[in-house]
Amino acid sequence: MVDAFLFVGLPYIAIVTAVIGCVWRARTNRFSMSSRSSQFLEDRKLLWGSAPWHIGIIVVLLGHILAGVLPQVWSSILTVPGALIAIETVGVACALLAIVGLSALIYRRVTSARVQAVTTTTDLVVVALLLVQIVLGLLSAVHFRYGSAWSTGTVVPYFWGLVTFRPDMTYVADFPMLFKLHLVGAWFIILLLPFTRLMHLLAVPLQYLWRAPQLVIWNTTRRRQHAVAATIQADSRRAFLKGAAGVAGATGLMALGVSEKALNFFKGPHPDPEADSALLQKKLQRLQLTAEERSYELERQRNDMILVARYAELAENKGRYFIDYAMAPGLAFKGKDGLPLVISAKCTHLGCTVGSELDAQGRVMCPCHISYFDVQTGKPNDGAPAKLPLPQVGWALVDSTGKVVLSRKPGESMQGKVDAALLPQCSLYITKPGRGIA
Amino acid sequence: MKLPETIERTEAYLAERFPVEKMNYASMILKKEVPVHRLSWGYYMGGLALFFFLVQIATGVMLLFYYQPTVSDAHASVEYITEHVPAGALVRNIHAWASSLMIASVMVHLLSAFAMKAFGKPREITWITGVALLGITFAFGFTGYLLPWHQIAVNATKIGLQTIEEIGAYLPGQMATWPKAMKEIIQGEASVGQATLSRFFALHVIILPLSIAGILGIHLLSVQLHGMSQGVDEKPRRMEKFFPTYFLKDLSVWGVAFMVLFILGLCLPFDSLFAYPLFEPFNAKGSTPDGIKPEWYFFWVYYPLELLPFWVIMLGQTVLGVVMMATPWIFKNTNRRTLKVLAVAAGAYLVVMTVFGEKIYHLFKG
Repeated sequence: MVDAFLFVGLPYIAIVTAVIGCVWRARTNRFSMSSRSSQFLEDRKLLWGSAPWHIGIIVVLLGHILAGVLPQVWSSILTVPGALIAIETVGVACALLAIVGLSALIYRRVTSARVQAVTTTTDLVVVALLLVQIVLGLLSAVHFRYGSAWSTGTVVPYFWGLVTFRPDMTYVADFPMLFKLHLVGAWFIILLLPFTRLMHLLAVPLQYLWRAPQLVIWNTTRRRQHAVAATIQADSRRAFLKGAAGVAGATGLMALGVSEKALNFFKGPHPDPEADSALLQKKLQRLQLTAEERSYELERQRNDMILVARYAELAENKGRYFIDYAMAPGLAFKGKDGLPLVISAKCTHLGCTVGSELDAQGRVMCPCHISYFDVQTGKPNDGAPAKLPLPQVGWALVDSTGKVVLSRKPGESMQGKVDAALLPQCSLYITKPGRGIA
Repeated sequence: MKLPETIERTEAYLAERFPVEKMNYASMILKKEVPVHRLSWGYYMGGLALFFFLVQIATGVMLLFYYQPTVSDAHASVEYITEHVPAGALVRNIHAWASSLMIASVMVHLLSAFAMKAFGKPREITWITGVALLGITFAFGFTGYLLPWHQIAVNATKIGLQTIEEIGAYLPGQMATWPKAMKEIIQGEASVGQATLSRFFALHVIILPLSIAGILGIHLLSVQLHGMSQGVDEKPRRMEKFFPTYFLKDLSVWGVAFMVLFILGLCLPFDSLFAYPLFEPFNAKGSTPDGIKPEWYFFWVYYPLELLPFWVIMLGQTVLGVVMMATPWIFKNTNRRTLKVLAVAAGAYLVVMTVFGEKIYHLFKG
């Protein structure tokens, strides 16, 4: 019978009273909602009492609320290895913190004459009730270990039964006395909510977190000016700190990212042996290519004649690139008459290398500015960017015995003659400008 | 005019441009104020160009650790940086993006300074050094373009250098050979080769940075000495302190620019804006590949060069150069409204030629 009253009747009385009472008080006496401050009268001890008490009780209360409102989330958190121990530890530590803080507050309230002047009887009742309640909770936590785990299957269904109007006190009937007292204490605190300073729970000054600081001062001109100056200073300090924190954070992040990249850049790659040898091979190939090009240069300085191709390799519609005596590209074709056709491939406009494919009109094209050059005469088409013809290159045909059978210098007529049947055994050479043909 | 008089006048002229009594921390930093008005954004452009230049120095020095300026190794080392060095692709890509962004902000800086008549007395030296800096910046772009030694780099450089030789055809008598001689001095040998690469490398990493540092010093000194030009005709309603207010704003613009640059560097390879075969190593024996063109910031002169007779462009360039160097005196009495119209027209021309240059070219050349 007593149980039924304490765990079903009392809760409903407490909840109904609390809701109606809080609404009534909020509507009729709005400014009494926040807790009456005594900071003005005494602020040293208050700091060491109020701060630990509030920090401790807020953490503990949030744990209770989370477990009660979202039991499944709560249980899933507890399944993480170590989470149970961590939560219990934090809970007990915060409870101790709250007890220390509350004790300091009680000591202050009963020893300071100034604070006593504004202390009401209900204040003392409330503070005593809170101390008893939190000591009971701490004792329960220590005696009946891991309440954060077992409560989800007992107290939480009991609570939800009350909320959904299907009260089931069997969940709590068999609890030890210690814990029953803790539960009853909770309902008493809720019952007292609208009649005491506890109602400040519902007036959490969240906007304090971002509003500008306000100073409470005695209203005299001198003090007002002083306060204005102080506020301006505090404001500008706040702005500076915010800005500095932002800049420092951004710079730090940036420096971190940049230095990570830069450090690795200078550290260099450490390729595995296979990639390393592939790299080395590629490098050697490039070196060989360069060496080859350099040897061309030497060859052109020393030799009066340079092999371009065997006659059989020449084609009528696709030229063969070679490098002439000026180290510029040249093209060798087989002409319609079967004789070689050798011209420079360096465009007379801006020096690009002309393409090697002949078009239908027997022309090659420079891709840079679209000039067409007739390979027979070297002349560009009308209106082409190039104005001068591609110069002819001196050449000689050498037969298999190494004898020059046919040659032509630019601007001169053909020297020697050759039997068409012997042509395939010949090779095409270019000849050094300004030198006779051996 | 007598010599002492000339000296005296020169002295007076320089004293007005470089007032020694103002060369101190208090008047160059603490007292400097920046006007606030509709065109205030223009004041950020020079700082932005400076920021990108600093980025270029940092990333350029980093690239120097791996780059090898020889014909055989240049392309391979660039490839090595891009493919193997950790964050190498990022560093190289930032270097490429920042070069373009630097030139873009320098161009906008030039036009906005022109529109705001920031070259008026006593800021002539600021303007002249600015024009010189623009030229050096373009030279940076041109020399840097060759260093990777791929197809587009070498071929574009060949064409660019050959253009110098073309000028000879329009010069009388003995002078006709000078451009060719000049080209060969720059090129170092008969064709673009190792000598050219070495010379461009020296220009790009030693000579140009040193000269830009010197001229930039004069430019910045003048800016701090004379303060920001008013920029608009009516007196600005509000002034901002340069330090710390404007300086911090400048820094936040730099911060945003760095973020944009970093994201671009991470996400969009600069090379992806070109067709791939252009990045093959340079092949001396093949034909010039299609699509050889200079960097976008030369389009404004490149496409007209393709379309119009050479002498027209040369004449235009000469006139442009003279006008730019003589701007402080030519436009001495022009009002800001006219200058703004001119600047907008020039800006529109630059944008149109850069964005639609290729289309315009095909329109006329088919």
